Amino acid sequence: MRGLGSLAAACAVASALAACDLPGDVGYVEIKTVPVSPLSQPSLYLDTVKLDPLKKGVAVLRQRVGTRRLATDGSSGQLAQICDIVVQKNRITTVTVSVAERPPRCQCRSRTGTAQASSPVCVG
Amino acid sequence: MIGSILRLCAEKSAGLLAAALLLLVLAAPAPPVLAQAERGSQLDAITPVEEFSRQLDEFKKNIPELNKKIEDSAGSVDRWTDVERARKEIEELRAIVGAALGAVSDNGMVSQLGDKALSHARDKLKALEQETRFKPEEKQFLIDQWRKLKDETERATEELGTARRQFVELLRTLQTNEDFIDELVQIRQAQKALEVIRRLTKDIRDASDQLKKLIGGIKPPGA
Repeated sequence: MRGLGSLAAACAVASALAACDLPGDVGYVEIKTVPVSPLSQPSLYLDTVKLDPLKKGVAVLRQRVGTRRLATDGSSGQLAQICDIVVQKNRITTVTVSVAERPPRCQCRSRTGTAQASSPVCVG
Repeated sequence: MIGSILRLCAEKSAGLLAAALLLLVLAAPAPPVLAQAERGSQLDAITPVEEFSRQLDEFKKNIPELNKKIEDSAGSVDRWTDVERARKEIEELRAIVGAALGAVSDNGMVSQLGDKALSHARDKLKALEQETRFKPEEKQFLIDQWRKLKDETERATEELGTARRQFVELLRTLQTNEDFIDELVQIRQAQKALEVIRRLTKDIRDASDQLKKLIGGIKPPGA
């Protein structure tokens, strides 16, 4: 019972993108930052959920299939989108965020041909 | 590779369990200064670590066939003559690796429990260093036990990080291979389409030849 309680508590931890039980098809997003340890790491958001600081400059997150919006803090206090990430079933989509730039810039490992350079669409 | 990761996870898990059990055993004959409530709190205190060990164990049990399946299927990727079958096998492998990656992903259950266990061990160590209830030797003993536990948990979470990187690479390789197989399927389909066009062209040529013969055979009277 206590184990179940701990498990439930772990699921409830207000960690970014807690995904203990994602219904439906899921895929994976790998977010890397360069440089790995910047002096000040900007906050990153997947849709509107703030990500925990990336450990050693990388995070692998389980996500529902669909398109997620990667954003950072904008100058006006609103979220500023930096790219879209397409999550496909049992596939991994990798995006590298250049955090030394202002605003941070996405570099997709693989991207759709039609996307604009200012807001690329990364695919798996 | 994955097998060794899993073995390491299992070893770490066993180590953590052993450490947790040792702590439980040692907590039992504790001096009377430890009240019942405090003992209860000691038991609660090791729960995140136990839970993390249990989850690691479960993770290991859930994917015992992974390594074997990957090895068995590695050959199938080379047998690309049956692209549909190869694609299906890769899809199945992606599902297996995906499930394994799900457990160790940063927002996965095992990783989050690992973070929680680690944070708890660090907090406990910090709190014990400020503790004034115990005799110096008792305090030192408890600190040593928690320090050992913290080090073990750190190593176990690092192993999870290694497993995560390996699964990511594996998944990427599988999807790259699948993309390549998809391209092969498209080539095969294009070849089939070409065969159809060639057959059609030949049929038209044959019909044309017959028509020519027919026309050639028509001779007007007196010719």
